[in-house]
Amino acid sequence: MRRTVLVILGVFSIVAAACGQQPTGGAATKAPAATETPVKGGTAIVAIWQEPSTLAAHYANQTVTDIVNNGVIEGLAETTTDNEYVPNLATKVPTLANGGVVVKGTKLDVTWELKPGIKWSDGQPLTSADIKYTWEIWMKDPKVNNRTGFSEIESIDITNETTAVVHYKSLYAPYPLNFSSLMPKHLLEKEADISKTDYVRRPLGTGPFKVTEFKAGDSITLEKNPNYRGAPDKPYLDKVVFKSVPTSEVALAQLKAGEVHAMWNITESQTPEIERESSLALQIVPGPSVERIELNTAQNRENTDPSSIHPVLGDIEMRKALLYATPKQQLIDKLLFAKAKPGSSPVSQGWAAFKEPQEGYDQAKANATLDKAGWAKGPDGIRSKGGTRASLTYTTTSGNQLRERVQQVLVDEWKAVGVEVKIQNAPSSVVLSGSCPGKDPRKLGTFDMLMYASSPGIDPHSTIFPRYHSRNIPTAADCSGQNYTRIKDPNIDKAIDEAGATLDQDKRKAAYATAMKRLNEAYVIIWLYDRADIDGRSQKLGGWTANTWQRFTWNVEDWFLKK
Amino acid sequence: MGRYVIRRLLQALPLLFAISVVSFAILKFTPGGPLSAYEGNPDFTETDRVRLEKAFGLDQPLPVQYVNWVGSFLRLDWGYSYSSHQPVLGLIGERLPNTIYLMGTVFLVVLLLAIPIGIFTATKQYSFTDHLITGATFAFLSTPTFWLGLLLIIVFGLQLRWLPLGGMATPGEEFDLADRARHLILPVMTLSLVQVGGHVRFLRASMLETIGQDFMRTARAKGLSERILVLRHAFKNAAIPLVTIVALDLPELFVGALVTEQIFGWPGMGRLFWDAATRSDYPVLQGILAVSSTLIVLSNLAADVLYGYLDPRIRYS
Repeated sequence: MRRTVLVILGVFSIVAAACGQQPTGGAATKAPAATETPVKGGTAIVAIWQEPSTLAAHYANQTVTDIVNNGVIEGLAETTTDNEYVPNLATKVPTLANGGVVVKGTKLDVTWELKPGIKWSDGQPLTSADIKYTWEIWMKDPKVNNRTGFSEIESIDITNETTAVVHYKSLYAPYPLNFSSLMPKHLLEKEADISKTDYVRRPLGTGPFKVTEFKAGDSITLEKNPNYRGAPDKPYLDKVVFKSVPTSEVALAQLKAGEVHAMWNITESQTPEIERESSLALQIVPGPSVERIELNTAQNRENTDPSSIHPVLGDIEMRKALLYATPKQQLIDKLLFAKAKPGSSPVSQGWAAFKEPQEGYDQAKANATLDKAGWAKGPDGIRSKGGTRASLTYTTTSGNQLRERVQQVLVDEWKAVGVEVKIQNAPSSVVLSGSCPGKDPRKLGTFDMLMYASSPGIDPHSTIFPRYHSRNIPTAADCSGQNYTRIKDPNIDKAIDEAGATLDQDKRKAAYATAMKRLNEAYVIIWLYDRADIDGRSQKLGGWTANTWQRFTWNVEDWFLKK
Repeated sequence: MGRYVIRRLLQALPLLFAISVVSFAILKFTPGGPLSAYEGNPDFTETDRVRLEKAFGLDQPLPVQYVNWVGSFLRLDWGYSYSSHQPVLGLIGERLPNTIYLMGTVFLVVLLLAIPIGIFTATKQYSFTDHLITGATFAFLSTPTFWLGLLLIIVFGLQLRWLPLGGMATPGEEFDLADRARHLILPVMTLSLVQVGGHVRFLRASMLETIGQDFMRTARAKGLSERILVLRHAFKNAAIPLVTIVALDLPELFVGALVTEQIFGWPGMGRLFWDAATRSDYPVLQGILAVSSTLIVLSNLAADVLYGYLDPRIRYS
């Protein structure tokens, strides 16, 4: 079946290439949406090439669910594109400065106040009881995706109809986005099992639209919510239809054929096709996703002992040389159509972004480093030291064309400095399974070099703490950690602990920077590139604005169709 | 005959049991598993994994999981999808009409094309037209649907812009018969062109065999017109094996076309299976596999029984 998929994808790229040949004049650019006068009415069609299996926010595990729900479900606060928290259903985002947040030792009280007069799309009023109910359902329902944030809440007091005080048992810094999807108490409280109700396909929200039709495998239709607080001015569109298509290649073909108005997640290699069409526009937003190669510092064996030392990668000079021999910019220019930026840390966006670059590409320096460290070249050009041959395996998700091409380039580059690298790929369902029973090589420690991407949220703690704190090295006894390089550095641990113990953003930023700097000085991860989120749309669709932290439908109430 | 049918049905039971065990085992030993989709999420912890495994019953030993599944399957409670939490029966129920609509049309088109073409090529054996048609059907028979489907999309959808690229109807519009028909053309064309070849070749061979028989010579000697000769005497006899082939096609009405539905974004059973497979959604996969294997066994039996009914020379033992 995998082969069939590949063939389909292959043929589609030929199709796409064949169809992109009509010469067109105008280059695709970001259209200045704000200057256009919105038009009311019309139906926008958005291609989705994943089918949302559920629209219930607490079960959902797909990007596409957010894309649909952005028009339907709202939260207390959200993130703007300039990395600020802004209130959505709340009157303000509570902070230490405005008195909404009170620190009590290691605990935290957050007071939320709802905007008055907000209604659910069925006309019932939104109250602070819904805030409490949202927490309760997240903690009670056994099928929820995860309980991040909610499990840190001790209790919630309802002060009045519009005010709720959330008591956290810890200094939970990402509290502003904890309640990003409110659930209606009046509708759901009598249900024994929400997963078996109509709510999972027609969730009730406070947003500009409501779901009126869910045709599995076909389309999801949103229509204007008459009870929306922005009505009757907004939303401008009457309807938004999310049309299910099999692959992103088909979505692109339909975008070009004018059958859909927008699609999300365009790959870098697809961008030239859109740039050729004057009727289409691209939106390139720096995204939080960072592609990296992680180097295993412990022995490559199942349930590896974290204190063991990798015979080749245990040598920091070897790890340095691999970085020096990695031509990041060349990969970006040749394989990513210059739509990405060289990576420098796990956090590339937002207030905690750490942008101090790693050393650049320098083959001579790589050779000199290895020569000095005693890795001598043998007759076949491959280095060895004390009888250990500089031979490594390089793992990533199989079937990913971009990653496989990156591998080919890097294997050659590393061979040129005397390091033999063998490709050992596996399906993403194994490599990224994230579980020991699922045989994730990162969890078991059965890899030398592993390439994948990860995207942190706007608050970096949930990325930095599990991945780089020495407490989180996965072992046979406790497989939950994500410190896959098995790095143990007391300075990193100390900085992460410090950052987690305060709500002062400046102090936290400095502490994370210390941790990320130390991480780069240990040369355990090669940050290849920061990927951009690329969406495409018809020039007819206006009102579109970029947002690093939310998917492109985040401001769908501002969208309109030009006549 | 009644005893024969009962015996065959009883024989089918261990077969279906074996199929269910094997398909269950294949699904369970596929790497990844239904919770692997959660890994990309940095907030998903080990505690969450353990909780979800318990909620889905994945923490039970495999034999227990199997027995639970069989038990509820027989009670017509086919369980709930891991990813959408919808009842499997409901998921199948909402896709089945779409698949029957597509595959039923294909079924009719194939028969309406195959019968005249088969008769024609047999009566004009070795003529230029016979060579042309036989060659063409052979070519289509050997064409993979994913290739032909994409080719048709490129030509009629992207280049000529005559027909829509996929889906069952234009989204956001009211029901419109003409629009439905336009969406039906390309997928039906893809599947029919590939399937018609097999039926034509079958019918042609069968017709040729019949035409060469003694009773045909007798009929011709009686002075019957060529038309009656071919249609009433030759075709009636030659069609018997075709009936069995058609009976064997029946499960497809339910199962749908995996690849074609995927290419054309058709919301049918094939896509349901495909999506469930990519998500390791065991309850959905198990449900579809159980129904399709049952249908295949039953249609085989139906083909055998029909064959005997139409051709009294066949005796059941």
